[in-house]
Amino acid sequence: MSAPDTASTPTTSPIRQQSGPDNAAHVLLDLRNVTVNYGGIQALREINLTVRAGEIVTLIGANGAGKSTTLRTISRLINARSGQIFYDGRDIGSVRPDEVVRRGIAQCPEGRRVLTRFSVLDNLEMGAYVRSDRAEIRADIERQFTLFPILGERRNQQAGTLSGGEQQMLAIARAVMSRPRLLLLDEPSLGLAPLIVRNIFAVIRELHEQGVTILLVEQNAHLALQYADRGYVLEAGHVTIEGAAAELADDERVRQAYLG
Amino acid sequence: MAHFIQSLLNGLSIGSVYAIFALGYTLVFSILGIINFAHGAIFTIGAYFTYVLTGAAFGFNGVLANRSLPFGLTLVIAMIVGSLLAGFLSVIIERLAFRPLRRRGADRLLSLVSSLGVAIVAVNLIQYLVGAEIYTYKGKITGNLPSAVNFGSENTPIPIRTVQIVIFGVSCLILVLLTFMINYTKIGKALRAVSEDATTASLLGINTDRLIMFTFFLSGFLGGMAGTLVGSSVSIAGPYFGIAFGLKGLAVIVLGGLGDIPGAVVGGLVLGLAEAFVPSDYSAYKDAVAFGLLFVVLLLRPQGILGRVQVQKV
Repeated sequence: MSAPDTASTPTTSPIRQQSGPDNAAHVLLDLRNVTVNYGGIQALREINLTVRAGEIVTLIGANGAGKSTTLRTISRLINARSGQIFYDGRDIGSVRPDEVVRRGIAQCPEGRRVLTRFSVLDNLEMGAYVRSDRAEIRADIERQFTLFPILGERRNQQAGTLSGGEQQMLAIARAVMSRPRLLLLDEPSLGLAPLIVRNIFAVIRELHEQGVTILLVEQNAHLALQYADRGYVLEAGHVTIEGAAAELADDERVRQAYLG
Repeated sequence: MAHFIQSLLNGLSIGSVYAIFALGYTLVFSILGIINFAHGAIFTIGAYFTYVLTGAAFGFNGVLANRSLPFGLTLVIAMIVGSLLAGFLSVIIERLAFRPLRRRGADRLLSLVSSLGVAIVAVNLIQYLVGAEIYTYKGKITGNLPSAVNFGSENTPIPIRTVQIVIFGVSCLILVLLTFMINYTKIGKALRAVSEDATTASLLGINTDRLIMFTFFLSGFLGGMAGTLVGSSVSIAGPYFGIAFGLKGLAVIVLGGLGDIPGAVVGGLVLGLAEAFVPSDYSAYKDAVAFGLLFVVLLLRPQGILGRVQVQKV
């Protein structure tokens, strides 16, 4: 199943010839004809999706369209029934979830899922579980506290006692602690006040400027298309529309269904 | 007064063994949300492992009658190695009885039955191999120490068997090491993370399968060590040695609060003390006291002594 390491072998993703990772055309994530059955229904049907290095790509759609399922499939929490998932040119369709993290894909899951009985500091430390460079981990934690000062103030507080917005910040910071190349964000705006949402999206943009590639799942299409380079619209497990974010924002179908 | 102190010390001693045994259940429960019914069998097997490692020969009843290993370890080393072997056996049981069901997303109740099946097969296998006789360890865990220590004065002696003191010391040491491991080491933190939210733990890069294996190893080690300690205090009372102990361990974790680590320790000590204070004329009814206590606690505090009220997550 696994493809060889070298970039020039034919088993690598054929969408684009591999060049250096800093080249914007370099395909980092490539889902090909991915079908997923989940809970007895076909949750994803023949999904094709690519994310190039340096992009922010958004996945929008109604509740239950399969957005979270897509991210869970990439993180290998659920098995695809058919199709292939390439990351950095290598097939990751059969590796364990922890191996996905080790290879550089972190997910900030829906509903934040912070470890409520751990302190803020311990949550961040757990985010760096795959790393062993202690000094660098310390430095990265301090960096998160610069990015999210409120987390620094509450570093010794139990994560379960944080507000929703603070928990979302912690969940993002924790995901970043593994030093991912690709960050999967699942509904970071869910249930948060507009001011906090703006704050969080400012940080997402900052992370992107630091070189993290982002695949963003959002119900708030308006917001997502503002920040993304490209977007995909999922309807009932199927990609119906895809294109540049600006184009999608102007698309009549998208406007009617998601931008109101 | 002398009698009170004696009961107290004996209660703490047996209670501490209940505690380390029950922690074996608790660790597995906190990770997988299931009760490992093979834990009582592990207790028995740990005791037998230690027995055979000392180089002693089996009796006349089973297939292995009069057989012994060509070497003999001293009892203390045999206890450690025997408990480690019990840990490895527990990992094998996880592979056979738990993992296949987990992979298929089977109901948790099914693993309960499969572990019970493993336990019954194991106990019968022991009976087939070594018979149903009572075995007593060669050598003493207390070495050359006097067999009892007087905690009272010369006029009012309060003799406590040295082996009880050693058992209490060993159990406390294990509890301290375990507490340290769970709270401060990387693998201990990973264990707590999986116990809180296994999906999120794997998104953090924790290999949950390996962690489950490690948990079963620890659980088996604790169960085997408990069996060995009880065996060194009294003797190995045959293949069914661990069954009653297994049930008491269940009482302990329910008493303390399911899945709660300090709760298992408190539950163990409470049960040990309750038993120790049963007057010797009624010692045949110790188990009735143990389970009567469980009954009363459940009526008053269904979540256990230290247990939290379970809040259903939406």
